[in-house]
Amino acid sequence: MFDLFRIALRGLLHRKKRSWLTIIGVLIGITAVVALISLGISMQLAVERSFEDLGYDVMMIFPGEVGGGFGGPTSLTASFEIDLDALSRVEGVGEIGLISYQSVYVKADGNEGFLDALGVSGNIFDFFKLEVEGRRFGPDERDAVVLGSEVAKELGLGVGDILEIEGHPFTVVGIYSAEDRLNVRGESILMPLAAMRELLGIKGVSMVLVRARPGYDVGEVAKRVEEFLYKSRGRRDLSVQTMEEIHEAVQRALGILRAFLGGIAGISLLVGGIGVMNTMYTAVLERTREIGVMKAVGARNSQILLIFLLESGLMGLVGGALGTVIGALLNVVAVIAARASLGAKVLEFGIPWWLVVGALGFSFLVGCLAGLLPARSAAKLDPVEALRYE
Amino acid sequence: MKDGVIVALEGVWKVYRMGRRRRIEVQALRGVDLEVARGEFLAVMGPSGSGKSTLLHLMGCLDRPTEGRVLFEGEDIARLRPAALARIRNRKVGFVFQSFNLSPNLSALENVELPMVFAGVPRRERLRRARELLSRVGLSERERHLPSELSGGEQQRVAIARALANSPELLLADEPTGNLDSETGKGILSLISEANREGVAVVVVTHDPEVAACAGRHLRIRDGRIVEVTDV
Repeated sequence: MFDLFRIALRGLLHRKKRSWLTIIGVLIGITAVVALISLGISMQLAVERSFEDLGYDVMMIFPGEVGGGFGGPTSLTASFEIDLDALSRVEGVGEIGLISYQSVYVKADGNEGFLDALGVSGNIFDFFKLEVEGRRFGPDERDAVVLGSEVAKELGLGVGDILEIEGHPFTVVGIYSAEDRLNVRGESILMPLAAMRELLGIKGVSMVLVRARPGYDVGEVAKRVEEFLYKSRGRRDLSVQTMEEIHEAVQRALGILRAFLGGIAGISLLVGGIGVMNTMYTAVLERTREIGVMKAVGARNSQILLIFLLESGLMGLVGGALGTVIGALLNVVAVIAARASLGAKVLEFGIPWWLVVGALGFSFLVGCLAGLLPARSAAKLDPVEALRYE
Repeated sequence: MKDGVIVALEGVWKVYRMGRRRRIEVQALRGVDLEVARGEFLAVMGPSGSGKSTLLHLMGCLDRPTEGRVLFEGEDIARLRPAALARIRNRKVGFVFQSFNLSPNLSALENVELPMVFAGVPRRERLRRARELLSRVGLSERERHLPSELSGGEQQRVAIARALANSPELLLADEPTGNLDSETGKGILSLISEANREGVAVVVVTHDPEVAACAGRHLRIRDGRIVEVTDV
């Protein structure tokens, strides 16, 4: 087998230029496959991580119907009021976090303008596992804010500085880093919900986060919460969604995206495979006489078949190996570029071992399959006719 | 069949169908009877197109007869499967062609190794034997050279070494000196004769009287029929 492999290798090296051109065809296909699949994996990993940060035992309550109309949930700035005491008595409901999205007028250090502010209950830091440089604000504090790192950078503020929100002074007590976060953006101002309500004269919230008590099935608790909301409000104007449901929806979308990307990559790989087939047919034609001689000196049909299959498989494998490396590099470039331009860790490096092994195996297989028909025609050549071939 | 016969042809016809629809019939051999004894040196002569090469192909199990029987060591080759024929060609027959027919991408040494690769001879043994044969044909210094780096005579010597690699019983040579000058041709002829002296039966197709002069028997063929057999 090794000797036949050596003969196959010599065949490839003998027509270097053509072999390389064919290999490049496979290389492009495998590069596309690896790059696009790994991109899909990168996105998935990033999404998974952000869901894991929030935890699968969490559900969200927000205005609007899920999947009931255009755009799903209505605007996040729409606010609603809710009986928190009654909600906390629903069986299985644990910690409750509140968020109110508002746009506020901010002045700081000569800068002024509208910015997004989140009035939040104190436990939101835990819900989102936010790491704060400085400190969080306490439940009764009225004049403290925690800034997203991006906002802090933009406004040139640090811990201990003062900024004015809607004409009132607030002290920056902490700065949270949103780097490597997908679910929290670094461009927001976090302020105590009570302070925001006082400041803007609002009552409601934009979103309620509910954590199921340990030992309770989050899906069951979500159903009970939904029922409670319907009973207490008399209408279904609020949606309850568990992280698991959202996760599933995102997974489905990513799955479709992956299949789509994989399909495109598959087409380029198919073209590469046809290139291998073409090269191998040419090789068989060119070496007809040589095949005749090999048969004359005693090569069995199966040995001829194997030599040509190894040749085409080898082209596939070399193209696959180079394509995998380039595809992986493209993934790294894409991840770095995405992080640089979007700040957060919107992509994770996504080159699992199975993708590498799979790509190599698949490229060898594509090479062998593409070479199968040419190799068969080589093996079946009539030795006398092959020897006469000019 | 006699014990001393390596290959025998009994009433052999070989008809080729040529052309795009294979309608043109060419009768390459028409009822040939022939026996080649072990260790003999037979020269086959005749004008081109008379069926000499076809005769050689049939004796070397490269082809099967259209009619009649070809018996290689008593076995009817028409009844053998392609793999069994390949095995005979590999172990019992050596071919030498007019145009050398070396694999262009293999070195001289690797070309000689080739039949042994197909026979599954271990590498160490193969290399030993290939080097021994190359030294016998005087090409020890050229073992790493590709065919394109060798002269015609050198290529033919490599081809003879290759033909002898698996110690065949029968050496079939199709105009082995046809593409060589007479001096080089003599060298080739002496190598073939040497193999014959060591017991290998040799069948040479040739136009060259010098080659024919080495043979113990001459066979003249015309229009697919043996017209004359002469013991020398």
